[in-house]
Amino acid sequence: MARVMLDVSSIYKSFSEPVLVDISLHLNRGEVLGVVGPNGCGKTTLLRIMAGLESPDRGSVRREGKVGIVFQEDRLLPWKTLWENVALGLKYHGMRGEELARRVREYSSMVGLTDSDLSLHPRKASGGTRRKAALARALVLEPEILLLDEPFTGLDVKARASLREALKWIWDEYGLSTVIVSHQLEELLPLADRVYVLTPKPAKVAEEIDLRGMDLEKRLERVKEALLHILSRAGAD
Amino acid sequence: MTQGNKGADRVQGIAFRTGRILAGLFVLAIWISASATGMLPGPVEVLAYLLSMRLEEVVPQVLKTLYNSITGFSLSFLASMVLGLLSHKLPLIRGFSEALSEIFNSTSALVWSLVLVATLGVLSPLPPILVVAAVTLPHILTATVSALSSADPGLLEAVRSVGARPSDEFFEVILPSSVPLLASASRVGLGTALRISVVAEAFGSSGGVGYMIIRSYNLADASGVLAWSLVLIALVLGLDQLVLKPLERRAKRWLE
Repeated sequence: MARVMLDVSSIYKSFSEPVLVDISLHLNRGEVLGVVGPNGCGKTTLLRIMAGLESPDRGSVRREGKVGIVFQEDRLLPWKTLWENVALGLKYHGMRGEELARRVREYSSMVGLTDSDLSLHPRKASGGTRRKAALARALVLEPEILLLDEPFTGLDVKARASLREALKWIWDEYGLSTVIVSHQLEELLPLADRVYVLTPKPAKVAEEIDLRGMDLEKRLERVKEALLHILSRAGAD
Repeated sequence: MTQGNKGADRVQGIAFRTGRILAGLFVLAIWISASATGMLPGPVEVLAYLLSMRLEEVVPQVLKTLYNSITGFSLSFLASMVLGLLSHKLPLIRGFSEALSEIFNSTSALVWSLVLVATLGVLSPLPPILVVAAVTLPHILTATVSALSSADPGLLEAVRSVGARPSDEFFEVILPSSVPLLASASRVGLGTALRISVVAEAFGSSGGVGYMIIRSYNLADASGVLAWSLVLIALVLGLDQLVLKPLERRAKRWLE
């Protein structure tokens, strides 16, 4: 049986109104898990709870290892170069000199960043390059669990393809356990092993779908069918 | 940008510059009208006075005023940074700073000048510096406190997610985020400092443009008063347009 890297158990979260209700899910070692659902249903809140950036009102989250998160908006420090942004976490953990430079170079090239990309400030870099830098900033700390919030949003076709390739390469090489929250099914489904489909707010798990063994067409058909079902049920309610 | 937009921008730019020239002409017209009554010397007379002034007479006074303003402003900036940083963490210091700002903000430059000259003596070089520090402190302190709380929470969370400690958060995010606001506040503060320092200089005998204005006044030399006033205006405008404004623009690009 696969080792569970992240176990979310009966999570309840409310701000002024309930956002997440009784959500349970798990991430197996080396697995790529998708979380899909209608816009504004609470996917990002769920990811933030998984990362430990937000606490659930009820329920628990168990993490087996270090967590790295890539935010939807990149969140790179504008006054630092991409190199300095990637190196931030290493610096905070006391790494300096040649060892730091080697790690930054290694993980930056892994996601497809060149030396000239790394010398840029975020405002001078393209959206795809910035997203890769945000990914490298998380990877450089060698997390066991990677959380990606809408990683393809705001990128053009070329940048999306390039990021997809970089992610595939990382998973093939390192088998990094990953959760991807996304509403872009065409980007997410070719990558994911399993998906959890959430209902509209307050989000509950409507369905868990194992995508392994399905071709892309079948994956899309299956997940779209699940989404249409929950949306029609929500409409009927 | 479309051709139409470019044309509209150009027209607006010309209108704006025309407005600035008209403001200058408006002030000149008032001056000429006032001088027609015989109470004030006219622009030509004052210009002649200005041209007759020796450089070695003007430069030391200008440098003295600049020194008083910049030193006083630096003191208030330093105090604001210390109080601002402590306020960020300690409610006691936040309350202290807020009350101090309110008291200093309600005290006029004239009162500070009289009290400090009376305390330290007319020959002391300190009153102009301390008056500038006291008058600019509330503005810089308020700007510092609000600048330090203007950091993007998303960036703070991002650095926290890769292991930043509170001190890292402060030096890597909070302080750099406050640069544009501090630059704007400094631009206004230094302009104020120059105008305030001449008030304090007028009450002492340690030199500076303010001292020269009041000395000309005491000698009933109206042309001298206006000539030295023009020197001060040129100093404020020159420093603002040639140094402070470009620095502020550069600082604002920091966060883009």
